[in-house]
Amino acid sequence: MQDRIIAPTLIAIDHIDFTAPKTHRLSNSVNLYHMNSVPNETSRFDLYFDAGKCKGAIGIAGFVNGLLFSGTEVKSSIEISNEINALGGFLETGISVENAVVSIYCLRENLVSIFKVVIDAIQNASFDEKEVKEFLSDRKQNMMVSMEKVGYLAQREFQQKLFASNESYSKTVNLSDFESVSQTALKEFHAQHYLKGLLKIAVVGNLPDKDIGFIKEKTRSLLTEKSHCFDGNLENKNGSSHINKEGALQCALRIGRILFNKKHEDYLDFLILNTILGDYFGSRLMTNIREEKGYTYGVGTMIAELHQTGYFLIATEVGKKVKDDTINEIKYELNRLQNEKVKQDELQLVKNYMLGQLLKSADGPYSMTDLFLSAEMHGKDLEFYNEALVSIQKITAERIQELALKYLNWDDMTIVSAG
Amino acid sequence: MIKYERFQLPNGLRVLFHKDETTPMAVVNTLYDVGARDENENKTGFAHLFEHLMFGGSINIPEYDAPLQLAGGENNAFTSNDITNYYDVLPAKNIETALWLESDRMLALASTPQSLEVQRSVVIEEFKQRYLNQPYGDVWLELRPLAYQTHPYKWATIGKSIDHIEEATMQDVKAFFKKHYTPSNAILCIAGNLDLNNVRALVEKWYGSIPAGNKYQRPIQIEAHQTEYREKLIERNVPSSAFYYAFKMMGRNHPDYFVADSLSDALGRDKSSRLYVSLKKNKQLVSEINAYITGSIDTGLLIISGKLNEQVSFQEFDTALWEEINKIKTVELESKELDRIMIKIRTSREFQEQGLLNRAMNLSMYELLGDANRINDENRIYSKITTTDILKCANEILQKTNCSVLKVKADKNAR
Repeated sequence: MQDRIIAPTLIAIDHIDFTAPKTHRLSNSVNLYHMNSVPNETSRFDLYFDAGKCKGAIGIAGFVNGLLFSGTEVKSSIEISNEINALGGFLETGISVENAVVSIYCLRENLVSIFKVVIDAIQNASFDEKEVKEFLSDRKQNMMVSMEKVGYLAQREFQQKLFASNESYSKTVNLSDFESVSQTALKEFHAQHYLKGLLKIAVVGNLPDKDIGFIKEKTRSLLTEKSHCFDGNLENKNGSSHINKEGALQCALRIGRILFNKKHEDYLDFLILNTILGDYFGSRLMTNIREEKGYTYGVGTMIAELHQTGYFLIATEVGKKVKDDTINEIKYELNRLQNEKVKQDELQLVKNYMLGQLLKSADGPYSMTDLFLSAEMHGKDLEFYNEALVSIQKITAERIQELALKYLNWDDMTIVSAG
Repeated sequence: MIKYERFQLPNGLRVLFHKDETTPMAVVNTLYDVGARDENENKTGFAHLFEHLMFGGSINIPEYDAPLQLAGGENNAFTSNDITNYYDVLPAKNIETALWLESDRMLALASTPQSLEVQRSVVIEEFKQRYLNQPYGDVWLELRPLAYQTHPYKWATIGKSIDHIEEATMQDVKAFFKKHYTPSNAILCIAGNLDLNNVRALVEKWYGSIPAGNKYQRPIQIEAHQTEYREKLIERNVPSSAFYYAFKMMGRNHPDYFVADSLSDALGRDKSSRLYVSLKKNKQLVSEINAYITGSIDTGLLIISGKLNEQVSFQEFDTALWEEINKIKTVELESKELDRIMIKIRTSREFQEQGLLNRAMNLSMYELLGDANRINDENRIYSKITTTDILKCANEILQKTNCSVLKVKADKNAR
């Protein structure tokens, strides 16, 4: 019988292979990135547009994004869907504060044919009144469902407080905004932010050069010409606020602050602090709030990045009765990181865990492309992840404490609860 | 083609090994042949509560997560009505750590009272977060007992009510472990850039000495053939009225299972599907509509669900829905409709098979169903499906007397 108490010997991760996609310059400011080494038949393309929620009047960016495939003068929305589906394409559209993105997942043999359909639909979207009406009514219904969820209510309020210094960023759609949408406004936004708003193209798939050439050709007229400006000086409004929700069994908490992105010198080291606090299953917050007290099904922290800045967020949903206790425990954990150095065994565990996760995030062409895009957004290349590897290997408990003292002060936080 | 090797230990543990040279990561997937269907009707939610307890430390190792994280890995698990599945994803060079951890919790749990108390509250919060504190969150708690009268599929994996979770005792925990967590009740799948001989040696080293225990023989559970239409109306304070039509269908081992899957795609997989085009786009009766299958091992469900537009009554919708159902039962699909369904199935399968973890989970599931190699037959089976098969299947499944309907009526004064 072997000794089961002693763990097997571990082998450290000291090297990760990062493979960059090939860069094709489409204009001074727009690139196409192509990841060719895909060992199977799958493929994907993403079109990034300068059409995020911070652009235009309230709600409009989301409406136009949702209506991109609602038909042209010659094709109905059903015909467009049929064409994409007949080629086995899976369409996704998404929107964030600063960007909008259209993605297709398909077999590589069908990518070019689907691309034609997608570009035609986007270029010639006609915003037919009947389609607009149906879309707005569906969206309104969805929003009414969301308004019943404490997580949504808290997130919405958090966004308003987090981006309080800039109305373009802090605005959130209201039910009344669905009533007064004009076709002209939709068309204007579309013309400005889609027809002249393509920021970036990413293609994953083992595709011949002629396919890439075709994509370049087809998108030439859509490329953005202006250099877009995003806010780099956002400031959150600190302090607490609560949204009351009758009958809720749980309370959603969102706590955070404006911080920074990959461009900042403290970013990589802060990622490690973030992991210790709340970004893995054994984190301080999970251990305290879930595994010791059973207050929640889950709690997590993250750093979200914007083009010119970023923010830090703690999110959880807890039993209604333990809301105040939970906030106190979160505060306690932030203070503990400021007042005590992280012990060596915990730090070693987090280092090893993060190296394993970095290895995983570079595994396979899709993950690799996403990793690349995340660096590219901030003017970095894959060398950034070698720096990340070194920063994980080298970080000390003193440095973690220094960063906690600098960035995790309770008084700087926006604290939102809903329940 | 997904290649794999198979071997079995004397204690009954079935092992699959799938080699993939393209990834630095490895997967250890452990499927236990136990789900909510194996629970006592008066102690439901237990298989899932137990899944949480599997992370509370084992007989020789006080913590499950920390050693795995130290090896650069992460893990999770899920429970369904049929199975409980645990997986570890970690750098391939540290694979032994996962085998050490997984084998120790197959050997015996620490079963501390603290672990039970905490996981009990965590699961209660999960119950609230996912089933009670969400609009429409409780529909499966209502729909299952309507569709099933005797089969244990009549309760959801989270359990019938919070009370059952509150009442679970340490004695229950220990008995459940002894009954279901034996090597012969498990399938282990290891995937990654590893060597078969090394894998075999490591598995024998860590799992070989686990006592065989008694193989649990599940009593045959058959839901009697449904012969009447069932309907239940509940009132909830939700923004719009919702409907769930549940038709009984064949289980996963039935030859027509994939035909029924294709039928559900024809009805409501995407924006080209019958119900979406007819009931949403043309007639404007619903704001959303979908059709899908539950994928159960025993008698499963084909579900049509969605939300009504304002001003539309359940009755108006019901009439229009049955008109569409009658069409698909009377006239065969057009061949281009079938082609569209098949290319989408093929595409999504290609994407699923990309992921190492998915491959390991699917191999384990097929091994449970009888033979891991069936994973490689799926494309062939789908490609042989004809419009005649789908018509026949539609007539078998889409009968009123085979249907249970849950209507959730929006009412501002309801709870």
